Amino acid sequence: MILQIFINGILKGGLYALMAIGMSLIWGVMDIINIAHGSFIMLGAFTTYWLFTLFGIDPFLSLLASMTVLFILGYAVQRYLINFVIRASAFITLILAFGIEIFINNLALVMWTADVRKVKVPYGAANFSIGNYITIPTIRLIAFILVIIISIAFFYILNKTNLGRSIRATSQDLDAARLVGVDVARTYSVTFGLGVGAAGAAGTLWAILFPISPMMGGVLTLKSFVVVIIGGLGSMLGPLIGGLTLGVTEALGSNWFGSTYENLISFTILVLVLIIRPKGILGGTD
Amino acid sequence: MRKDIRNFLICGFILVVVAIFPFFANNFIIRFATDILMFAIMASAWNIIGGYTGYASFGNVVFFGIGAYITAILMEKAGLNFAVAFLGAGLGSALFAILIGLPVLRLRGHYFAIATLGVAEAMKALVQNLEITEGNSGIYLPVLNLSVKAQYYFFFYMMLGTLVLTLLITYLMLNAKFGYSLIAIREDEDAANSVGINTTYAKTMAFALSGLFTGFAGSIYAFQQAFIKPGPAFTVHTTVKMIVMAVFGGMGKLFGPLLGAFSIEIISEILSNYFLVAHTLFFGIVVILAIVFTPKGIIDLITQRKFGIAYFLQNIREHRI
Repeated sequence: MILQIFINGILKGGLYALMAIGMSLIWGVMDIINIAHGSFIMLGAFTTYWLFTLFGIDPFLSLLASMTVLFILGYAVQRYLINFVIRASAFITLILAFGIEIFINNLALVMWTADVRKVKVPYGAANFSIGNYITIPTIRLIAFILVIIISIAFFYILNKTNLGRSIRATSQDLDAARLVGVDVARTYSVTFGLGVGAAGAAGTLWAILFPISPMMGGVLTLKSFVVVIIGGLGSMLGPLIGGLTLGVTEALGSNWFGSTYENLISFTILVLVLIIRPKGILGGTD
Repeated sequence: MRKDIRNFLICGFILVVVAIFPFFANNFIIRFATDILMFAIMASAWNIIGGYTGYASFGNVVFFGIGAYITAILMEKAGLNFAVAFLGAGLGSALFAILIGLPVLRLRGHYFAIATLGVAEAMKALVQNLEITEGNSGIYLPVLNLSVKAQYYFFFYMMLGTLVLTLLITYLMLNAKFGYSLIAIREDEDAANSVGINTTYAKTMAFALSGLFTGFAGSIYAFQQAFIKPGPAFTVHTTVKMIVMAVFGGMGKLFGPLLGAFSIEIISEILSNYFLVAHTLFFGIVVILAIVFTPKGIIDLITQRKFGIAYFLQNIREHRI
């Protein structure tokens, strides 16, 4: 029983980790707290929903589509909007992101109404058992494996490619990066695109596993915060550890105290982690 | 000195105009003006910690909710009158600000913002689960025993009085050593510390003042609504509205948040008249445009007396990459 709860927590935690990877990247490199992150996740979810509903494209296949669409959107938003205020105080970009969030959420609300929708795949209920006590839903396991693959891809891009090197250089010292010939405006745009693309991937997986609606973004932004804070900025491992911690704690907590306490638990952890270890459990560089 | 007297006279004149305005307006307009005053109080209170001290609190709604709930519990469960509940709400919120401020104000920048957001969300979840707050079903308050017109007047003047008190205290604070230490903390906290300012004390007191006035606003709101629930009382949108108003008007300026509250409420009202469904969409566009073109707030626009396109372009040139 306890093992089953633990496994459920880990499988959900993987999704939390994917949500947080994008936010952590954008925050770490550009010092932007992307309040609109949850809204981008929502857009990814709806991309998958419409591709499935209108054209019957399998939701797992639409993963690439939603990542591409969201990458382009993120690139454009950074290039033609956020770059104009990027050197103002971090606070200004925060409110700009908030304006973007209101805009996206309400545009989605006007276009798609507030209905809660669900991607109904025929294999949705498939599961398999290990021993007598543990049941694992197949799609959750596949989603979890995809999260790991996407995380590794991100790790590879950031650490082994020229693009990743210019992103890391820009985040360490903007002026020095510019001096050695990095196109900073473009690097910022690509970084934001990558982060939002990861949000799109998380949205696709979310649409496969849970019901979606235009207003789902707010809670997801808050959860991404919690994960980024628990894991700490500055490493690719942070979001993974934070996500798994949050998933497992939530699962155990709602089992012991009842699911109405789920939010109380997450946010108490958030505040406690901040007070005790402001740099996150891993204690990455700020 | 002459400039001071002139400004003082202008403020007095505006105050008199606002104070006699309800006698020439219908109930709907008075109610709308009361809402503007409420947000002006909260944005000005946010300005003390966010604008002057430089600590961007993303959880100031927690004081609003606590103020509302203290009022509801004192009036409904303990049977006290509104005057006692009002004071209790303010002091309770200020006390909570001190308790939570001591650990949380050690964090800086984004970390402080998110910690306060977490405190507000945790508090909402706690209120939803506690017995004394009656969870998600909410609390009914005793209704004010006056004629309808007199009720509208009562709440309007309560809000107006609280707003004047907030601005007056902020003004006195700015001219005292305390105000200077807050601005010193905003500019460079380590330097402020090393010249002998007790930064912990100053920050905590600023947070407590912010909590006090926001708690007052929550108290009046609860009595006016006569019914409160955790969802609306602790919604993160109230915090965001305070911040947007303060920034839109001009943060770190005495009258900036007031101006922001006034213009944002009027803009939202006009938009919702023209676009029934999509007005929040346009509100988002207004926020985006305001941040890109006037990051220093409209009060900067007014005091600099630059209205041309050059002013907007210069703002962009300053902050673009």
